[in-house]
Amino acid sequence: MGENPLEEVVGGSISRRLKIVIALALLLAGSPIILTYGLLILSSFSTNMVTDPLLTDFQPTLDNWIMFLRGQITYATGGLERNVIEMTLVTLTVAVGVALTATLVSLLAAYSISRMEFRGRGVFTAGLIMLHAFPGVALIIGVYMIFRIIGDILGVLGEEFYAIAYIILARAALEVPMAIWLFKGFFDKIPWELEWSALVDGASRVRVWWSILVPLVKPGIAAVLIFTFLAGWEEFIYFYVFLKPFGIDSLPTFIEEIVAAAENYQLTIIAAAGTFYLLPTIVFFILTQKLLLEAYSGGLKG
Amino acid sequence: MGFQTNRTTIYIAAAIVLIVIIAAAVYIATRQAPETVETETGTAAETTPATKTEAEAVELKPLTGNVREDIVNIARFLSANGVTEAKYRVHGSGDPNSIMRVYGIVEAAARLNKILEDEGVNFKIVIEDIKFSANADEPAKVFQQSFPLKQEADIIAVSYRWISTFAKEGYLLDITDYANAYMGTELEDYYDSLWSSVTYKGRIYALPQDTEARPLYILKPVMECLGYDAWDIAKKIDSGEYTWKDVMRIAKEAVDNGCSEWGVIHRKGSAHPDLVQFYYAFGGEFTGSNPDKLYLNLEALYKWLAVEYALARNGLTPENMLEWDWAKQIHPTIVSAKTAFDIGGTWYWTEWQTKKYYTDPQTGEQRGLTPEEVKERFAYSLFPAGEPGKKPVTLSQPFVWMISANAGKLNPKYDDLKEAYHRIAFLLILKANDPDLVAIHSIVSAHIPIREKAAQLMDDQQFVNKLAQGNLDMFISDEARQAFVDIAKKTAHPINIEFLKSVTYMLEYTHIPPLHPSYQPLAEFFKDAVDFVLKGQMTPEEATNYVVQKIQADPELAETIEIVGSIPTGWEISP
Repeated sequence: MGENPLEEVVGGSISRRLKIVIALALLLAGSPIILTYGLLILSSFSTNMVTDPLLTDFQPTLDNWIMFLRGQITYATGGLERNVIEMTLVTLTVAVGVALTATLVSLLAAYSISRMEFRGRGVFTAGLIMLHAFPGVALIIGVYMIFRIIGDILGVLGEEFYAIAYIILARAALEVPMAIWLFKGFFDKIPWELEWSALVDGASRVRVWWSILVPLVKPGIAAVLIFTFLAGWEEFIYFYVFLKPFGIDSLPTFIEEIVAAAENYQLTIIAAAGTFYLLPTIVFFILTQKLLLEAYSGGLKG
Repeated sequence: MGFQTNRTTIYIAAAIVLIVIIAAAVYIATRQAPETVETETGTAAETTPATKTEAEAVELKPLTGNVREDIVNIARFLSANGVTEAKYRVHGSGDPNSIMRVYGIVEAAARLNKILEDEGVNFKIVIEDIKFSANADEPAKVFQQSFPLKQEADIIAVSYRWISTFAKEGYLLDITDYANAYMGTELEDYYDSLWSSVTYKGRIYALPQDTEARPLYILKPVMECLGYDAWDIAKKIDSGEYTWKDVMRIAKEAVDNGCSEWGVIHRKGSAHPDLVQFYYAFGGEFTGSNPDKLYLNLEALYKWLAVEYALARNGLTPENMLEWDWAKQIHPTIVSAKTAFDIGGTWYWTEWQTKKYYTDPQTGEQRGLTPEEVKERFAYSLFPAGEPGKKPVTLSQPFVWMISANAGKLNPKYDDLKEAYHRIAFLLILKANDPDLVAIHSIVSAHIPIREKAAQLMDDQQFVNKLAQGNLDMFISDEARQAFVDIAKKTAHPINIEFLKSVTYMLEYTHIPPLHPSYQPLAEFFKDAVDFVLKGQMTPEEATNYVVQKIQADPELAETIEIVGSIPTGWEISP
């Protein structure tokens, strides 16, 4: 593939004017989203919610951020401070847990599917795509029943660590099918001879996998780690169902709670909370957009 | 080679099975160990050894109606059974100034502990986890989710309307017998109208925590512009002389003469159940001869929708009223006197002081009103009668203390001693309603006290002055005292207290929406119907029929809701 996929599609170099037109069209199409998020971020630095695109409402202040990080969500007196640090750590733990679990499991599974013959491989591979089609919320009743059954058997139903570990595993399970497909693409492109020569030299399959194949798909691992981390970070429903009953909040459930009670809160502080929650997503996408786009559009060079 | 592989596989499998069995055995042994200890003596930190003779010697006597006697008996009983500490968790919710909905329990525990200390009983109540949410329904939702996992808070402070749902599921402790023991003492001065809010199918499942009324606020500057006396209008509304037709007439005069931009502003979508006051004002009731049924009076519903329709068609109320924003539209419109009337709540009075809804015309600064400014700006009355011959009304949706059916479950020997743990939970909510605590909560959060003794305390100048100066020596708990110092200094103003005292009479006119599982879906239909008529998408008649059709389309609602009366012919209302 050439440097610019678009150039290949249109059969040669595209004119500067066309590029500008395309850029403007994209900007126009994306403007509602850019405007909405822009106003949200500006509101978090303003004494009033900024709803006018001309920014007539904007009055700069850092108070919203200071109060949010202290866990104070209202300018009015009273209320109890909420532990934003704890919520962030809980959310971060789950996001990192989902990223590591999903990446490790899919890396192993993809290797097996790509390299090993076993009964039902074709059906299993096709089934993965079907699994990916199920959104987490559609499975919630079944996932909840498994939570209860395993918790009862192990006698850990009332334990917070079990709820967190379960969210990590359940959420990772939703990411595994897509990640397997991505990794399978990478493994398929690696010449079999590389692996074969190592096996002939006496290396075990695990050693070959770890020492030869895994280093070759490092960019893919980075991409999968990022999108599974973001999936864990953006999770809401599993936090709500499994962790909320313990009185433990994560950032998404906390934001849902304060938005639902906006009558009692200062909206600009809620804007700060929303911006804070968006930060990892924005930062990751800015830093890794090229990597992610390549990963989604047909694999990476090893 | 193949044989070697098979043997290796078998060895590995056997090793794994062995490890799993050992791990399971160790796990089961470690789980059972503390239970064995608890059966004998309780956990080391929380219990002390007790002999069977001691335990038998102290019986759990019936509740006497005297807090001191009862807590001492319960504590001695638990202590004799080897338990010297009982832990409870509480979850409350509401506006930021309503933290008495959790600290009330903290202070109640401190007061009960003080009694035990004075009596030399070796027992302590610990409130180990307090949580306060701004979303009023949050504790109820979390309770609903966590009860099956046995993780629910022992005591929650939420709206009374959850009682029917939870009682039906068996999630709540039936406190009828406990409450009956105290009816002649601690519960004697509770306002009678509130007991219906905690009674479901003849049993008491909660104690009232606070209540409110929903006054009609009358903007004095607008009335002055028209040459009217706002308090005179308020008196005429309270006496029933002025009905909704008169209010609409004055509102139209205000808009036509440029005295205000709007005539009547009211609650929005999320607070739509408040609008049911119209239904009551036109004589509607939800109860009837069959206690299992909910009754819907079509005439009252039609007249309610006809008023909303007329308000919007005459430009007195915005067509999209139910979608207005609280902070950017509703409250700024009210505090800036851009409306002649507002259907609000008693809590608005301090909310207008603590939140920056007002834009100062001199400086352009957004700020809260001062108590003096609120007093200068607003008169208030009951919700006007629908038509001549009907009575003015108000609406209360009390917050209540509910106790989990598993209250005290985290404590040792729960299965054997749960009756004692349940009684402590009851005494906690009882003490959380001590008159001074109720008075403090009412003053700082602008709610109406639930008992007469608290209302009397609000007349005690010494008490009020102490509160206003942040001198909170009535609190035993340091934690509760610290939590209230700033709030008390900012809200315990004589003008605010005078306001609360002056609206307490409204409880005599109050209606409490029914504790019936079908009421919530019905209220949602009401909201849709109001929205349709405000926007002119339906006539009042069409909207009334819409509600009827929605009921009939749902087999359960059709079974439980009895429709009475009919749409009146030839009845109309206009300013």
